[in-house]
Amino acid sequence: MKLNKDFILHIADGETVLVPTGKAKFSGVVRGNKTLGAVLELLRDETTEVKIVSAMKARFDAPEEIISRDVKKALEGLRKIGAIDE
Amino acid sequence: MMTNIYQIAEKNIEVTSIHRAVHRLCRDYRAEGEPDFRVEIGQADLDEERSRAAIDASDAYLEALAVYRKIAEKMPEYDTVLMHGSAVALDGEAYLFTAKSGTGKSTHARLWREVFGERAVMVNDDKPLVKIADSGVTVYGTPWNGKHRLGENISAPLRAVCILERDSKNHIERITKAEAYPALLRQIYRPADPVMLAKTLTLIDRLADKVGLFRLGCNMDREAAEISYNGMKGTL
Repeated sequence: MKLNKDFILHIADGETVLVPTGKAKFSGVVRGNKTLGAVLELLRDETTEVKIVSAMKARFDAPEEIISRDVKKALEGLRKIGAIDE
Repeated sequence: MMTNIYQIAEKNIEVTSIHRAVHRLCRDYRAEGEPDFRVEIGQADLDEERSRAAIDASDAYLEALAVYRKIAEKMPEYDTVLMHGSAVALDGEAYLFTAKSGTGKSTHARLWREVFGERAVMVNDDKPLVKIADSGVTVYGTPWNGKHRLGENISAPLRAVCILERDSKNHIERITKAEAYPALLRQIYRPADPVMLAKTLTLIDRLADKVGLFRLGCNMDREAAEISYNGMKGTL
């Protein structure tokens, strides 16, 4: 999976925001917590849910089940707005 | 087909359209010389606008929207963005009021004209262009200036962007870039081309660094204009 090309990742004042182009059906702006920001960064390149969880485990000091749950939730939200190409 | 050149935000733009209406709209911006870029409208562009439009509109009306969309898609290349808002210049310096539709941007700009008289000049009441250069930020009038056609073919240095909200009492506060950012993102045209969108986002960052950012809570009394001007002028 990878971030859809109609969504641009941008760091504004230290915060990661996901902004759709005028072409995307979704017209809002996604502003997220650290987890979402990290997931979005990883989605810049082709990856999988397993790889994302693994990378997050190396970065964040939290139990695996919490990280897995948060990643799943972040991906679900991104899928809903069409931000992920599978 | 009909073709003319117009100078908008210092760029010569050759516009080729199916209908005449967009040329009537742009007549105060006629120019001569080599175009910096060209915009040509085909039936597919009108169909695209129709699919986006909330109301049933004529092809001529939709074409005017399509022309401006194509201009707005190109303008980030020249460090310029389209911002939804009402820009009014007072003593030669511009203030841009932005908010979601129906909040009262135009009403507030009208209050400025009533309170400050000839000192206040409408740059554009709906969709001005804003150039964010190293030397400063400039707001430009455009032919797309709202249903009341308020605006001139002029430009002015932009001192502040003010996010407007309705309130029973009038008050104005300076806000941070982080506080202003969501509104700026919503009110600045987001190109369909990812490269142009990425450029637009860097321009929004620069805009937020270069102009004063304020939030105004206001009613429709004349006092609202005095409070908003004094709040912005006094703290810049």
